[in-house]
Amino acid sequence: MSILEVKDIKKKFENTEVLKGISFSMEEGQVVSIIGSSGSGKTTLLRCLNFIETPDEGIISVRGKELFNAANLSSDKHVREEDIRQNRLHFGMVFQHFNLFPQYTALENVALAPTLLKVKTEDEAKKEARELLDKMGLSDRMGNYPHQLSGGQQQRVAIARALAMHPDILCFDEPTSALDPELTGEVLKVIRSLAESHTTMIIVTHEMNFARDVSDTIIFMDQGVITEQGDAKELIDHPKMERTRQFLSAIAK
Amino acid sequence: MFVTVTLSLLEGFLSTLKLFALTLVFAIPLGLIICFGSMSKAKIIRLPVQLFIWIIRGTPLMLQLIVIYYGPGLLLGESPWVGLSGRFLAALVAFVINYACYFSEIYRGGLQSIPVGQYEAGQVLGLTKKDIFFKIILLQVVKRIVPPMSNEIITLVKDTSLARIISVYEIIWNGSSFIKSDGIIWPLLYTGAFFLLFSGLLTMLFHYLEKKLDYFK
Ligand SMILES: Nc1ncnc2c1ncn2[C@@H]1O[C@H](COP(=O)(O)OP(=O)(O)OP(=O)(O)O)[C@@H](O)[C@H]1O
Ligand SMILES: [Mg+2]
Repeated sequence: MSILEVKDIKKKFENTEVLKGISFSMEEGQVVSIIGSSGSGKTTLLRCLNFIETPDEGIISVRGKELFNAANLSSDKHVREEDIRQNRLHFGMVFQHFNLFPQYTALENVALAPTLLKVKTEDEAKKEARELLDKMGLSDRMGNYPHQLSGGQQQRVAIARALAMHPDILCFDEPTSALDPELTGEVLKVIRSLAESHTTMIIVTHEMNFARDVSDTIIFMDQGVITEQGDAKELIDHPKMERTRQFLSAIAK
Repeated sequence: MFVTVTLSLLEGFLSTLKLFALTLVFAIPLGLIICFGSMSKAKIIRLPVQLFIWIIRGTPLMLQLIVIYYGPGLLLGESPWVGLSGRFLAALVAFVINYACYFSEIYRGGLQSIPVGQYEAGQVLGLTKKDIFFKIILLQVVKRIVPPMSNEIITLVKDTSLARIISVYEIIWNGSSFIKSDGIIWPLLYTGAFFLLFSGLLTMLFHYLEKKLDYFK
């Protein structure tokens, strides 16, 4: 059974249709990268999966369970809010701009959600947070506040924070785009090691070599539709569609 | 004479302090309610609240004191503000309304300055709305509003002297009464020392608060 199945997601903002029917599925332990030019709807798709945006149409299922179906959107706002909150627990999100909580240390940022949601006691949550930060290579930075960390360190804290909730699927929206070039390596290394330990991930990225290396599948999006998807190396090395070829050669320049 | 004057001014200053403290006690929470009203999605709430804020911030506090003190009497034929305590209450009502509106605008600025990414980061972790507000947003808002709030609160210290327009016996009233009774003006000037001392204390308190919140950016 697929861990994630997305069927015909559509999303409109005012009059512009940003997602025009997106369908794909992925298996547990797989890494899917989404590439495509600016404005093609990649961020919007991730935001729909994390229920920050509500799709106008479509179905999202995790492990065969239908989490969202636009056809039976409840009109009761309170029921809906609690449902949405529960649905979000299946997904994790790492933002382009990290969005760490400035008033908490690295350790507190990671332990906050498990503690508040009573998934764990505070001590257990802190213990796991230490282990996660350790894995991110941040053992000596746990007591630092976000403003005392480099962008690369902040992004690694953000990854640990998302992992602490043990999402089924971890999403990344251009995790290295806000970083100085010399800092992208340390973040990509961490994501690569997550891929090696079979963390299910969807990664929106402009780093083509990285996407080719770590992903099982690549999805190419253009103007709100999936133009081409397939095996990562195959798609990068031998794209079938003219549009994909154009995009890849433009990026290579 | 100095002792008599000091005692009289102290008595007036007590009334000043009472007006100051009670204004804060009521205006700080009321400001939050007005703030939520002014940011409401429902036009029917938002527009009247915004109109109200505009009126209060667009007219002198002195005028508002007069309207609140004399207005009900003119309309109802009988004033609800009787005696010294009635006048004090009228002054308090005017101050609370006025300052709540100023505070509400400071809160609004503070809330709107928090990047939407902070809310979204809380949402994707599955946190409840309540936790997002109280555990993530609130302290960041507090940090941002301490400087403008301290300005406003120090202005309030001095604004309390406006209450004498409706004969609330605060410190300036008491100080100037010596002009009539004893023909001396120095007690009035002496009141300045009380204001300086008190606003100095407040300034120190707010500096301390700002320092306390300096550990994050
Ligand atoms: N909240 C919104 N309101 C209106 N339009 C929006 C909103 N969010 C996104 N859009 C529009 O939707 C389109 C797709 O945006 P999106 O951010 O999903 O693209 P993207 O593929 O992530 O691009 P980039 O590579 O630049 O990040 C853009 O034209 C954008 O202007
Ligand atoms: Mg984007």
